[in-house]
Amino acid sequence: MPMTSEHRAVSEQERSELEPDDTPNEANEEGDRRSRRSFMFFGALAAATLLPKQARAQGRVRQRRVIEPQPDPQFATARVTENIAAFTEWDAAGVTRLVRRVTNGIIPGEMTKATELGWNAYLNYQLNYSRINDDACEQVISSIWPLMSQTSDALFSANADTVRNSLRESTLFRASFSKRQLYQRMVEFWTDHFNMDVDKIQYLIVADQRDVIRKHALGNFQDLLKASAHSAAMMAYLDQNTSRNTAPNQNYAREIMELHTLGVDGGYTQTDVAELSRVLTGWTIQGRGQFTFNPAIHDWGAKTVLNLSIPAGSPSQGQDGILEGEKVLDMLVNHPSTAKFIAKKMLKWLLTPEPTDTQINAVVAAYRATKGDIKTMIRVILNESWLNAAPMKLKRPFHFLASSLRSLAPTVASITTVNNQLTALGHVQFAWDTPDGYPDKVEYWAGNIVPKWNTASSIANLNSAATVLVDTSAYRAAGSTAAAIDMIDQNFFGGEMPLVTRNGLLTYAGTTALNEARTRELLSLAMSSNAFQWY
Amino acid sequence: MDEIHEADCGCAEYNELSRRQFLGRAAAGGALAMFPDWLPKIVMSKGFAANRDIIVSVFMRGGADGLTLVPPFGDPAYYTSRSTIAIPPPDATVATKGINLDNFFMLPQAMSGLVPAYQATDLLIVHGQGQTNNSRSHFDAQNYMEAGKPVDPSLVTGWLGRHLASVPPMKTDGPVLLRGIGMASGLQKTLMGGPKTLPISDPTNYTVGGAAATQPQRLAFLQADYASAQEPMHADALDAINTVNMLRSLNLAAYRPANNAVYPANNSFAIALRSVAALIKQDVGIEAAQVDIGGWDTHSAQSPLNGSMFNTMTSFSTALAAFYADVIATGYPVTLIAMSEFGRNVRENASGGTDHGRASALFAMGKGIKGGRVLTKNWVGLARENLEQGQDLKVTIDYRDILSEIVQNRLANPNLDFIFPTWKAAMLGVTR
Repeated sequence: MPMTSEHRAVSEQERSELEPDDTPNEANEEGDRRSRRSFMFFGALAAATLLPKQARAQGRVRQRRVIEPQPDPQFATARVTENIAAFTEWDAAGVTRLVRRVTNGIIPGEMTKATELGWNAYLNYQLNYSRINDDACEQVISSIWPLMSQTSDALFSANADTVRNSLRESTLFRASFSKRQLYQRMVEFWTDHFNMDVDKIQYLIVADQRDVIRKHALGNFQDLLKASAHSAAMMAYLDQNTSRNTAPNQNYAREIMELHTLGVDGGYTQTDVAELSRVLTGWTIQGRGQFTFNPAIHDWGAKTVLNLSIPAGSPSQGQDGILEGEKVLDMLVNHPSTAKFIAKKMLKWLLTPEPTDTQINAVVAAYRATKGDIKTMIRVILNESWLNAAPMKLKRPFHFLASSLRSLAPTVASITTVNNQLTALGHVQFAWDTPDGYPDKVEYWAGNIVPKWNTASSIANLNSAATVLVDTSAYRAAGSTAAAIDMIDQNFFGGEMPLVTRNGLLTYAGTTALNEARTRELLSLAMSSNAFQWY
Repeated sequence: MDEIHEADCGCAEYNELSRRQFLGRAAAGGALAMFPDWLPKIVMSKGFAANRDIIVSVFMRGGADGLTLVPPFGDPAYYTSRSTIAIPPPDATVATKGINLDNFFMLPQAMSGLVPAYQATDLLIVHGQGQTNNSRSHFDAQNYMEAGKPVDPSLVTGWLGRHLASVPPMKTDGPVLLRGIGMASGLQKTLMGGPKTLPISDPTNYTVGGAAATQPQRLAFLQADYASAQEPMHADALDAINTVNMLRSLNLAAYRPANNAVYPANNSFAIALRSVAALIKQDVGIEAAQVDIGGWDTHSAQSPLNGSMFNTMTSFSTALAAFYADVIATGYPVTLIAMSEFGRNVRENASGGTDHGRASALFAMGKGIKGGRVLTKNWVGLARENLEQGQDLKVTIDYRDILSEIVQNRLANPNLDFIFPTWKAAMLGVTR
């Protein structure tokens, strides 16, 4: 099924479906822009002094004492920094930065669309994802990975490896070829936020992905949190299903506050963890993956979680015992620490590794005004002035792989071999075993570059109609090496390929006409280049 | 330590596929001809002669239950707190009984791989140790422990990264391409800030692929393309290119451990240590390695006698047993440490598991470690009135006391204020 980029113009009808721009005004005010600039300046300054001053000074002094005194040039240089200024070739006034940021890879079809619509309308187009016709992608999903629409009862008897691979492959396929790109980006975000390891919970994760994460990824945080708290997969992953009133299991109670809502500095104590674990006793699983509340193992005593008092109840209340937990979840959703934690984390995902207080406060206000409407928060975050001044972000390996597929625009019959690249890349989906999810940090991933280069080489050479076929004929028919590299620029770099990369590719291509092998190497090098690693 | 020569380092074990035999086979034809035979460097660099160890740092991620790793069978509260998950005492008549260490502490059968090192006094166990900060968050606790200082968000570097950054390279007789290696796809916090330090999940398969004939040109393209990249990408990419070239010449996959040591193929932790062992013996300049082993977050069905934690402990101890026989017992100057972010509650929960606690056990292994004992300080035991918040073994030794002494005495780095900022270490005599 060819899944290539789409150049079709936006119809009048589609235009009328685009929501009006209701981005809050404060986000565009000049004052914020100024403070943003000074932030960038101080951010750069901070980056240069990441090692504590005292430590660096001491280190330098001590350096003289060691036996062989040649100074290590790295010693005084902070090489760990999150804020990476964008390439000078990247347009700071147009829509390319938005397309790069809200998609898994900038390709001509998206550029055409964004250029036509302009910043706000394109953002709304991506936010109102259900109005984007994605039938082509979904037809592939249902034909190759039919298990993805099955209930847990049915998945229970399916082959476990098939279930796992179907979920992973369909996730990569959607990330790469769905037109609902921002939606896919947010699915990835919430998947990490409510991370689970498929090895522990097996087929249960399928329903969670479908009915929790994908259902609410661009919905409302309260709905999302509650859906997650009623997910059999989450109960199993964090051992809630084995908790009992006799000696409650604290795993889920802790992580729901630390990772899902308040954040680790959100103001709860070990006592709150213990109390919430009592509140949640009885939240468990029945059958082959249905969430249920079991009053027989609920702790009916009085409890207090973060100043919320829950009076003692009695077993005669039966199913009403679940309301204690619901009350705490509502309290957590409305807690100021949750607003701040979610706002900050979304800012880091979509905008900058180090958001300013101004930015955090603006997104917190949006959260509080809407009880956590995710689209509203994103409109605040992705305003033109903030994003055009934001540092670049490093593509994590999964993002890199999806980008590569988007830009290569291959014909895909089976994505298995490509998905398997994620093992060497260290980013197999649903495989991070701790509940914090894969890191989104430059200092964590930057050194992991060789597996990306190897993957680039491997997939650029895929040439099988039975699996993945990368067609190089258009590049070779471009007329000249320079014209082929122009095409690469458009398909892989949004027309903003850095000069150093262009010159490198020209040198590599040489003066003879491009043959098949050399063309594939050019594609591989384009994906291996520094600029392709960033968004 | 004297220079290590072939005869001193267990190289007899390599004879199975000696260079001469290899040449014979290669001449006979076959794919082997592509690779040089694997042999350790015969004369090690001067760095090996210096009184400075290579450090292998193991992080047991998830909060390893020190009371199961090294149970205090002499404390009756251990058995009353753990009615379903206790290890039977050494004098029990069941096969699952513990292995007596010092008439108070024991090792479970799943940890029996550590016995030879313990008996040779090369393995020290420190119990009741951990962090002064009482965070029970995995992620904060790991972060603080790896940083070497609690609650300092501005400290993005790790203690081992700062160790590397404050000493000159150990290897002085040739170019040093890689000093620190994280056996993972992403760089662990422990190593952050280290010069020439990369995460490499599998050094036996570290390549850019594609046609061999064009690989040098393609690497040249990358070298030029990343020359103008910003840090940390610039240094990482250039280090990576050098490392690709370096590893290509080593053929680590053909590595043969000494002393018949076996790193089980289905044990990813062991496979990582095997690669570290091979790199150490090739003398390429590696002086710090970070290796992780997960699976310790035993909230439910802990099953230390036959289930989840039994398996994790078995993976841990068989890998360390192999590394001990292969590297440490053969005299390479290496210190290995293994630790976890916190221990677990003294009392088990209703799920047959234990929730996040405080103190745990730390392991230190090496010829320069004063081992063969379980070190404690002001051990208060497990009686409820002595527990922190009524639930946890108290931390009576700060892990930085142990690490500081190792850094100073085994890694020959006096810059403790830089490596463990604000900490004034008490030396407890853990090194020889």
